[in-house]
Amino acid sequence: MARLPVTSLLDRELEDLRQAAGAYAARHRFIPDFRYPRDVRIAVNFTLDFDSMLLRRLLNEPPMQLAKGEFGGRVGIWRLIELFDSHRVTATIFTPGRACELYPQALRAAVRSGHEIADHMWEHRVPKEAELEEDHLSNTVAALEKISGRRPAGTRSSHSAALLRKYGYIYRSEGSADQRPHYELDENGENYLVNLPFHYVIDDAMFFSFAWLGSENAAQRITDPERAFDIWWAAFRQQYREGGYLNICMHPFVSGRALRVAMLDRLITGMKSLPGVWFPSCEQIARWCLGQFPPAGAS
Amino acid sequence: MPWKDGYTISDEKSLADDEVRWPGGARCCVSITVDLSIASGPEGICAADLKTPPALFGMGQGLAAVLGMLRRYELKATFAVPATIAHINPDKIRAFAAEGHEIAAHGFKHEDVSALERAEESVRIARATDILAEVTGRRPAGWFSLPRQGDPFAGGTISPNTMQLLIEAGYTYMGNGLADDIPHYWVTDFASRQAILTLPYYYHFDDQFFLMFPRRGTGLEHPDALFRNWKAEFEAQYRRGRHFNMTLHPQHIGWCNRLQLLDDFLAHLRSFPDLWNPTGEECARYWLETYQASSYLRLEPSIWQDYPGSLS
Repeated sequence: MARLPVTSLLDRELEDLRQAAGAYAARHRFIPDFRYPRDVRIAVNFTLDFDSMLLRRLLNEPPMQLAKGEFGGRVGIWRLIELFDSHRVTATIFTPGRACELYPQALRAAVRSGHEIADHMWEHRVPKEAELEEDHLSNTVAALEKISGRRPAGTRSSHSAALLRKYGYIYRSEGSADQRPHYELDENGENYLVNLPFHYVIDDAMFFSFAWLGSENAAQRITDPERAFDIWWAAFRQQYREGGYLNICMHPFVSGRALRVAMLDRLITGMKSLPGVWFPSCEQIARWCLGQFPPAGAS
Repeated sequence: MPWKDGYTISDEKSLADDEVRWPGGARCCVSITVDLSIASGPEGICAADLKTPPALFGMGQGLAAVLGMLRRYELKATFAVPATIAHINPDKIRAFAAEGHEIAAHGFKHEDVSALERAEESVRIARATDILAEVTGRRPAGWFSLPRQGDPFAGGTISPNTMQLLIEAGYTYMGNGLADDIPHYWVTDFASRQAILTLPYYYHFDDQFFLMFPRRGTGLEHPDALFRNWKAEFEAQYRRGRHFNMTLHPQHIGWCNRLQLLDDFLAHLRSFPDLWNPTGEECARYWLETYQASSYLRLEPSIWQDYPGSLS
C-alpha cells in the first residue's frame, strides 16, 4: 500500500480537528443579547451539592471519610439553610435521590423555606446501562417529588439530555463553556437544556476538601476562608460589572463548617450591599432564559 | 438491617447551638490535642522514625516549648500518646501528666489498623492500654486515631471493629470524630443503641497539614492559612457557643516561626472571656452526664430501602 505524503496526512488531521471543534461548538447556543429583568444586574445562584457521604461510600472511602461527609447532613445543611433564610437568598439543593432516605428532616426544612430541590443523581453516579440509568433517574424524580411536592426541573449530572427532557427537566448545571446561562444540545443536535455554568474556581471543595476525588497529598486543598473569599469576591465583582452570572457550588459537609458559614455570611452581605443583585433559584433563571431567549430552531 | 448501617455513624441532626451548654455558663469549649506520634507511614512508629532529628526535637525542645506555651496561657491539653512513645519516655509522660494534662492512648504505635483481624486489633488495644496504665498509674480514658501527614485521607485510620473494641476495652471516649463539631455519639449497633462518645476533630485545625506539608523540604509552608483557620473557627464557634479543637504536633509547631504563631493565637484566644478548657476526659464526662444518649441520641427508625440496581 502506497504511503500518503506527509502533507496529505497533515491536511487530513487538520480537517478532523476542525470537524471535532465545529461539532462541539454546534452543540452550544449562547445568548449574546442576554439580559435580566429590569433593575437586575447579576444573578447569583447558591447551589449545594448535597452528597453527604453517598459519594464517599460510592468511592469505597474509609469510615472516617464517611463520618466527614455525614457532617454535611447532620450539621452543615441546617446551618446553610439558616444562613440563606437570614439573607432571603433562594438556594438550589442538588440532591441525590437516596439522600431523601438519609436526611428527610433537613430536606423538608429546605422546602419549607422555599429552596429548590433539584437532581444530583440517584446515588451519585450515572449508570452506563441505558435501562438502569432510566431506572435511577425515575427513582430520583419520585423521591424528590415526594419530599418537595414538585418534580425536579434541573440536574447537576451527566444524565443523557434525551432522558432528562423525557422526565421534564429544563436545565443542567455543569461545565463552563460560557460565563452566562446558555443552551446545550446533545450529540444529535437535539434535546436542548439550559446550562447554568459553574466553574471549579467557585467550588468550595477545590479549596477546602482533603482527598477530593482521590487527589494526591501534594495537591491538597487546605486553604483558609479568607483566601477563598477574596477569589469569589473578585469573581463576583467582575461579573457584576459585566452584568453576568455567578454560580457558587458548595457542599454542606465542606461549607457547613462554622468558619466557612461565617465567610459566606460576609460574602452575601457584601453582595447585598450593591444594587441589582438577584438571588433566584436555578429553576427561576432557567425559566427566564426559556421565556425571554428561546433557542431558535432547536428542539 | 438498620437503615443507616454502612452509611452513617450517628443520628440525623446535631444539637442546635442553643441546646449546647457548658459548665459554669461558659460560652465556648476549647480543647487542645497534642499528638506525640512521629509515625511516618501506615505501619506506625518504626525505628527509622525514631532515629531522626524531628523525633528528638519533638520529645525534647519542641515538647518543652509547647508545654511552656500551655503553662503561660494556663491551658490544659490532652496528649495522644502512642504506647511505644510512653514506653520509651515514661518520665516525660509522667512529668506533664503531673501538670494536669491528660494522657490518652494513640494506638500501640499509631499503626493503621484498618485491615487487621478483630482478634489482633483487640490484643493491640489491650497491650497499648496496659503500657499507658503502667506508665501513668491509671488506665487511659480516651483513645485517638489521628491521621498521619502522609495518609491519603486526613481523618485517621480505623477498622470496622475499632469503635466496638474501644467500648469493650472500657474507653470513655474516642478522641477524633468528623461527623460533628461538638461531642457526639458514634453508634456501633443501632438495634441496641450501643455507642461511644466521640470528640470533634477537623484536619483544617491540625498543624501538620499546613507546616511543610505534605513532607519536610517541600517549601509548602502555610502558617498564615493555619492561623486564619484557627481564628475563624474559634471565633465562629465562640459566637455559636459550641466547641473548638486544635491539634498540635511538637515536632512541627515547636519550631521558631510556628511557635510564635501559636503564641499569637493563644493570646488571641485568651482575650475572649468565659472559655471552658477541659481535657478530653473532663469534656467527655460532662457530656455523658449532661447529654445522655438515652435522651439525646435521636435515632430514627429506618426508611432506607433496597432497590434492584442500587447499592444497598
